[in-house]
Amino acid sequence: MEKSGSIDSLGSKRSSSRQPSVDSLSSTSTSRSDRSAQAKPPSAMSSDSMSTSAEFSPELRVSSLHVKPKTAVKQVLRDSEKEEPQLLPNETVQDMAQDITYFCPFTGAVRGTVMVTNYRLFFKSTDREPAFVLDLPLGVVSRVEKIGGASSRGDVSYGLVCKDMRNLRFAHKQMEDTLRKSIFEVLIKFAFPVSNGLQIFAFDYGQVFPENGWKVYDAISEYKRQGIPNESWRITKINDHYELCDTYPSTLAVPVNIPDEELRRVAAFRAKGRIPVLSWIHPESQATVTRCSQPMVGVNGKRSKEDEKYLQAIMDANAQSHKLFIFDVRPCVNAAANKKNGGGYESEDAYQNAELVFLDIHNIHVMRESLRKLKDVVYPNIEDSHWLSNLESTHWLEHIKLILAGALRIADKVESGKTSVVVHCSDGWDRTAQLTSLAMLMLDSYYRTIRGFEVLLEKEWLSFGHRFQLRIGHGDKNHTDADRSPVFIQFVDCVWQLTRQFPAAFEFNEYFLVTILDHLYSCLFGTFLCNSEQQRLKEEIPKRTVSLWSYINSQLEDFTNPLYVNYSNHVLFPVVSLRHLELWVGYYIRWNPRMRPQEPVHQRYKELLAKRAELQKRVDELQREVTNRSASSSSERAGSPTRSITPVQTFV
Amino acid sequence: MLTGSKTTFKVRQMLPDIKERMLSQSGVNARSRDVFGLRCLPGECVLQRAVMVRKKLTAREGRGWLSGTLFCTHFRVAFVPQDSPKPDDNADPVLLGDHDVALASIDKVVVVGPNRTKLVTPNSSLKFTPEELVLYCRDMRVICFLFDRLTPDAQVIEITYTIAKTYQPLKPGSVLSFQNAALGSVEMKQFLSNRRRDTHMNWFESTSDWEQELERCGASGWRVSSVNDRFEMSTSLPRFIVVPQKVLDTELKKSFSHFNEGRIPRWCWRHPRGSDLLRMASFQNNIYHEKDDIRNLEMILFGCQSSLCVVVELGEELPSPADIQLAHSRLRALCLGDISTSVSVPDDKWLSTLESTHWLDYTRLCLRKASEVACLLRGGHLTVALQEAEDRDVSCVVSSLVQVMCDPHCRTQRGFQGLVQKEWVMAGHRFYSRINYHRDNDKEEAPVFLLFLDCVWQLWSQYPSRFQLTEDFLLAVHDSVHLPLFSSFLANCQRERCKRSQNHGQSYTPVNGWRDGPHPDSSSDPCDPPLPPVWDWALQYSKRRQDRFTQPVPPSPPLQPLLNGNLNTNPDAHKLTDTIPGSVFLFSRGTFSCPANLLPWRSTSSGIYKKSHRRAPSSEGVPGLERLLKAWALTDIPQGLTSNSGSQGPLDPFEPLLPVLMGPCMGLWKECYLRGALHAQAFSHPISANHPHPVERLAAEVQQLKDKLAQASAGPDVKPPIKTAERPLTDANLNQNTNNGTFLFPGSRPHGTCVSRVTAPPTSTNHQHASSRGRPPTTAAPSRSSHRDNSSKHTFLFGHSSSTEARPDQRYHPAPNNAKLPKSNGSVAS
Repeated sequence: MEKSGSIDSLGSKRSSSRQPSVDSLSSTSTSRSDRSAQAKPPSAMSSDSMSTSAEFSPELRVSSLHVKPKTAVKQVLRDSEKEEPQLLPNETVQDMAQDITYFCPFTGAVRGTVMVTNYRLFFKSTDREPAFVLDLPLGVVSRVEKIGGASSRGDVSYGLVCKDMRNLRFAHKQMEDTLRKSIFEVLIKFAFPVSNGLQIFAFDYGQVFPENGWKVYDAISEYKRQGIPNESWRITKINDHYELCDTYPSTLAVPVNIPDEELRRVAAFRAKGRIPVLSWIHPESQATVTRCSQPMVGVNGKRSKEDEKYLQAIMDANAQSHKLFIFDVRPCVNAAANKKNGGGYESEDAYQNAELVFLDIHNIHVMRESLRKLKDVVYPNIEDSHWLSNLESTHWLEHIKLILAGALRIADKVESGKTSVVVHCSDGWDRTAQLTSLAMLMLDSYYRTIRGFEVLLEKEWLSFGHRFQLRIGHGDKNHTDADRSPVFIQFVDCVWQLTRQFPAAFEFNEYFLVTILDHLYSCLFGTFLCNSEQQRLKEEIPKRTVSLWSYINSQLEDFTNPLYVNYSNHVLFPVVSLRHLELWVGYYIRWNPRMRPQEPVHQRYKELLAKRAELQKRVDELQREVTNRSASSSSERAGSPTRSITPVQTFV
Repeated sequence: MLTGSKTTFKVRQMLPDIKERMLSQSGVNARSRDVFGLRCLPGECVLQRAVMVRKKLTAREGRGWLSGTLFCTHFRVAFVPQDSPKPDDNADPVLLGDHDVALASIDKVVVVGPNRTKLVTPNSSLKFTPEELVLYCRDMRVICFLFDRLTPDAQVIEITYTIAKTYQPLKPGSVLSFQNAALGSVEMKQFLSNRRRDTHMNWFESTSDWEQELERCGASGWRVSSVNDRFEMSTSLPRFIVVPQKVLDTELKKSFSHFNEGRIPRWCWRHPRGSDLLRMASFQNNIYHEKDDIRNLEMILFGCQSSLCVVVELGEELPSPADIQLAHSRLRALCLGDISTSVSVPDDKWLSTLESTHWLDYTRLCLRKASEVACLLRGGHLTVALQEAEDRDVSCVVSSLVQVMCDPHCRTQRGFQGLVQKEWVMAGHRFYSRINYHRDNDKEEAPVFLLFLDCVWQLWSQYPSRFQLTEDFLLAVHDSVHLPLFSSFLANCQRERCKRSQNHGQSYTPVNGWRDGPHPDSSSDPCDPPLPPVWDWALQYSKRRQDRFTQPVPPSPPLQPLLNGNLNTNPDAHKLTDTIPGSVFLFSRGTFSCPANLLPWRSTSSGIYKKSHRRAPSSEGVPGLERLLKAWALTDIPQGLTSNSGSQGPLDPFEPLLPVLMGPCMGLWKECYLRGALHAQAFSHPISANHPHPVERLAAEVQQLKDKLAQASAGPDVKPPIKTAERPLTDANLNQNTNNGTFLFPGSRPHGTCVSRVTAPPTSTNHQHASSRGRPPTTAAPSRSSHRDNSSKHTFLFGHSSSTEARPDQRYHPAPNNAKLPKSNGSVAS
């Protein structure tokens, strides 16, 4: 299970910057160019694929963010005069090749040049006007495979399987100079830096942003925002050196009356030492959301007095309820099966006043398989007549539904039942993170702001040790690794479903979510590197890399939902029926050129935002005016109309 | 998993009851309103009443519950919320209030008691006191009333029985009694006969109506023929049809017999690039024909185009009425999730079950065919003739969809109403048989029109800002279809409609034929009961809900009335250079062909063929046509979209709205089909209803503040309450639109709006600006500056900055005008 060794080495070596070899491929094969010309689709296609990528692809956004601080030119790559992409700071060209064919699944084969840097692959067509451009951060490459080879008349073909729901295929002429490496061999080296003893690009990327994203989250102030410490909860420094639990953050909030020594004994009873700790506390009822890993019950039904006392203390901290709900996120069968590995679940005999509920959410392997099936269904071609049943057979939406339903039950228990809940799965870093963070998103409007959401990710996902390095496999060529799983993607999908149902309740827009997912893979920022807070500290990630939040918070207007209204203290209860969930086409099907947003919604939202600011300003002005006047003339009129809390309307 | 949660949520739902109940009790006691606020129609009497009832609100209505009183009359089940304003007795009667449902649209009555549900039929007896009353409606609404402990048991049981006994119009004749209950009273008749019909839409009933349409489309070379004035040529065609100018009525008469039901090719619409859209039934085989018949027919078919004609065969690829009926009944069963039979599709089979209804397939097929036709028409200067065996079902769908795609006018409320008049009501879609009001002809029943509405909704959901009409309007049309009250739907063709009004006293003499008087403009003809047209929305919907039928800010300027055939600014791009003039092609199953025997009698005698001045059919034109269609495939979609991209660059308003028909892009019209689905509300929390969108509230607040300011400075002669009372009208409208992201519109707004806004007094101008903040500042600014120069920064939104704050009081004085202003929103939007 432990794969952390791979990341340990990544920062230590500096990559020797290679000289770009421009004339790498001899490129005069008439027969081949004829063939590709035959397959050439109408030229209009290139324009739309190009603009598709311009609008959606992470790579262009990345390049634009790099450009932005200096020049106002946003979409440099639209300019067909430009031969090369704008390189990022410390990005170096590693190899270039002419006469490469890219087999676009939508528009057919395109011929052009390829450039590989230590950050990206850049393909630009030479046979189309306007040029077709493909700009791909190497971080999204999951696997590179050589297809065909010698058999196909001297063509060498490479397939790139990407983590972001697409596959790319390139081909070039067989090397005459057999000593020369194909550009794709170079690509492999830089796509999997960790496997090749190189450094992930995030450590080289030297962009400076006005905002410092590493300052977004501070555990102490976040607990303080929630009112912790209070009379029932305290902050402990027991894990300051990650001795109690190496996958937990250094700052933990625990019940007041449990001393540190007892925490150690509780840790011994919980898998990986992940004891129940506070995630969120209700500002009024003091009902809490706590998270942990499974108890080490084992086949013999072991018990731990300290653990029982501990859970009792969690319950007692909430005076409103004499019950505690333990949500075991797993299906009951799986939880039981864990007993033979020493794990298991709390028996209701041992834990008095606790009620155990299984939420039936499947494990990372099931989710990985589901997303793989989804990719098969949506990329590249969609079978229209069987679309819905194909979608159903992936079970993706069903999993989304179960996760949302679980989070809803947690939120409902806390909000309506005023009962504290304990959430765990096996290790408490995948499904548990999904559920606690979604429940907190429903319960606390702070997390629905842009900064609040960043805090939520930093807290529930990053600091509590969701193993991003393992689940995503940054820079690692071992694409079959069973530890990879789209747990985080699934969470973001759930968030998107919430934004669909409550369009005015979130400060961020869809683009924000897509951007987060794009940079989950891009390896441009350090945010999602490593598996735990401890590792991140050891690698000096905050010192040596840029945070994704630095980039996002430096241009918030791109990510803001103009319809947002801060419904403070308003709890969202989404409809979780499959009838009201939708596939996130804006993410999963965005590579399909037919799948473009029908309406320039983005732009209109921005205009709207400006309008709203105007209005708000005006209201303030008038309000002042009114108070002035009523103060001066007479006291008959009470100042401004009071604004009652507007309820959230679901949009079904 | 869900069953487990069920109980807990049920308990939770009960919690707020107590609070609310106590509230409602005190509320009722305090007011003690007579008849509990129900405003009866003339002659309508309340059969039963139940107090302390709560209505479950749908997601669209804001969820939660509304307490009030439930009524059952001969005509409707009415619900009056307890805090609704006292009805104005002088207002025009509205058939259905916001919370009412007509008995005729109820499909099933179900009661829920402790631990059981029961389907209530007229004969059934209840052995328990219901806690909930659920009305399943034919328009796919599900309306749920909850009885409190405080509702007297006797009332609960009685009203349930009463509804069960009166709702079902199973027998023929019960429809008539229903109509009489609604419209039969003397006062109602009087009222209806005095009603003006909407003059802003085209009814296609008179020669001049058609001529107006010809002029609007710039279709020269066509004329209105009254050859069918007495329905002698074709019983199902309207009295007036549009045919080529050069074809004489005598020549025309010979053609009728060659077509099924005499439905000869008729002009429907002209594309701005000069192509004509025609409709016709299939050819009648085995009929003796004369020499000139071919020539006549060709003259009709080619219309005024000399180049070529494409006959689009609709029957083979599109669903038959029986298919549509089956799909719709499956969809209905799936979406309603009937609790009485507890047959509900499990969530994990929802998608595949939805697919197996084939409803979405059928909408896709119709949209695809319409897109193909739209692309052909865009090619310019050709005739496209839609051919369906009877020319009364899917050809209505396709011809009207093509126009919705290509003609911005048809995307306005009035334009759409005219379109339905033209292509459905007048063209003889058999509404009466297809809707099957009497439940006596199940074989014929098929919701073809509802399929069309779904297709329009698909277009709307993909291009919301290109429509002036809204989803609410489509829903209103959808629901009205199920009410057997409207002349538009209660007949199969114009002849039947005329016949009906004849029975009700219209003068008809067999010798002279129909009276050529002021024409079925029935406002002057007394009928019994005079069925109103469906388009008289004020009969059904309050002003507040009608205001939601249109976007508050109209999309791109409506380019009426002239879209003349010479829009061909860039003809080369679309021109078919390689076609031979005078060829007829058949387009069927996605391919073009030039069959020798397209006209079935042609092959019998080649001699006749030689008489034709047309050239022999050749396949040379095929590539050109296929190229036109290729545009429809993948390639062209982005082109259509880029033209869409807002403010920069003028967009070609006649670029058809080609829908993306990929599986993931075909949506289910949840607002319609899942409105009442009970599971949809399983987790909803009771919150108060009908709150406008926050941004809109902000605008309202600005207005309120302004009023206060004005009041403070101008003194007592200004009465802001009038305005505040009317504010919510637009609020709610905008709220809906925001949800769907149709807030802002690219492009400028129509000049008419400008004028009305500029001439309005400043305060109200500001109000308008605030409520229609979607408009780009650039267009708003000129209207402002023409009014008075204003250097302040944010003046485009608000007339006066704080520096000019003293001014509103001077300009505020025309108060009476001001009071009307919010209403003008509706007309502005049109």
